[in-house]
Amino acid sequence: MTSKTLTNSEVPSASELTLFLSRYSARLLGSGATCIRLEKNIGRIAKAFGHETELTIMPRHIHISVWKEGATGIITSIARVSHTAVSFNTNTRLSELSWEIADGKISFDEAQERFSHIIDSDTQNKWHVLILVALANASFCRLFGGDLTAMAVVAVATLAGYYLKMILLGHGVDNRVMILTCSFVSAVLGASDILFRLGSTPSVALATSVLYLVPGIPFLNSFSDMLYRHYLCAFSRFADALVMTCCLSIGLCAAMLLMESGMF
Amino acid sequence: MYNQILQDALFAAIAAIGFSAISRPPRRAYIYCALVAAAGHSLRYILMNFTPEMHIIPATLIASFVIGCLAVMVSAVARFPAETCLFPALLPMIPGIYAYRTFGGIALSLLSEKNDEFTHYFDLFAYNGMMSAGILTCMVTGATLPIFIFKKISFQATR
Repeated sequence: MTSKTLTNSEVPSASELTLFLSRYSARLLGSGATCIRLEKNIGRIAKAFGHETELTIMPRHIHISVWKEGATGIITSIARVSHTAVSFNTNTRLSELSWEIADGKISFDEAQERFSHIIDSDTQNKWHVLILVALANASFCRLFGGDLTAMAVVAVATLAGYYLKMILLGHGVDNRVMILTCSFVSAVLGASDILFRLGSTPSVALATSVLYLVPGIPFLNSFSDMLYRHYLCAFSRFADALVMTCCLSIGLCAAMLLMESGMF
Repeated sequence: MYNQILQDALFAAIAAIGFSAISRPPRRAYIYCALVAAAGHSLRYILMNFTPEMHIIPATLIASFVIGCLAVMVSAVARFPAETCLFPALLPMIPGIYAYRTFGGIALSLLSEKNDEFTHYFDLFAYNGMMSAGILTCMVTGATLPIFIFKKISFQATR
């Protein structure tokens, strides 16, 4: 592992570093990182530039205090958590960036450039995702005991629901309204298996048609935050996940009532 | 028997690849997500269906813990955070049918007009709701604990 000692000209001022760390932390948390990962990455970067940090992570804001070792002045910044889609690619690359800084492989200026590049280059082909999600939900149906007809119905219901999700998110529709609407549409299409008596496992098709909307990452992150005693963030993420699950359930129940699908 | 286990692993792998796409993983992560999901889900299938036949809740806890351990090991090799693999690998174990029956139970309890009907549907709601909650809790606990136990590996994976 190569590392180098930073010269005075390469060390950023506390205010420059605070600004960079604010942007970095807002993006990392918005990308679906856990609080402990954020704390470790931020601490690592600050230490590499000879600074100390203290973080307060709130559900929608991050409060960062930065000071130089041995100095008396402290600079504090409050960053708003980015509203972006969960991206483990960004999460991975930002973590790699923190290690490159810590190991002295890149300067502060290069780190800023690299950060901007990571943010700008996080793109994904939405049509590939649409097809993969439809195939995944159809496989899901199979795992729950669904037959081939149920799998085909689930694939179509997922394609329609996920496409609607892309449109609604593109128009800036609230996440909860989006989940409710998509689960309703997918469940109505999933219930066509019951309505037209297409296969032998219609209830499996209906049950699995909405599972692509399950907010799994907030649930997992909330538990991880709880383990590290970030109770406020843990509770916030859990409440968020619970609200999204309720929206999903309301959409599903409304579709079941509309389609008069018997379930027991 | 082997055919059933392989089929279970295959569909779990496809589901994991598809669902991992939602959370934008690095490209190299897809194959690892598939492998971890296939191993975890087929383990639960074996625990539940072959000797000794285990209840779904402890089987889920064991399988989730194995998924968590595999995710930590894989993260060190493939250099991405262990969480990248966790969610897609766990998703095939989500208690979808129990959750569906829970919501169905709520809806039919609310709509029932007779006391007997209400009691029946409320009973179904309570049973399926408790099963869903139990399975979900075991999934999350089992999968997150290895990251907590193997902290050093987990947080140095991207170095």
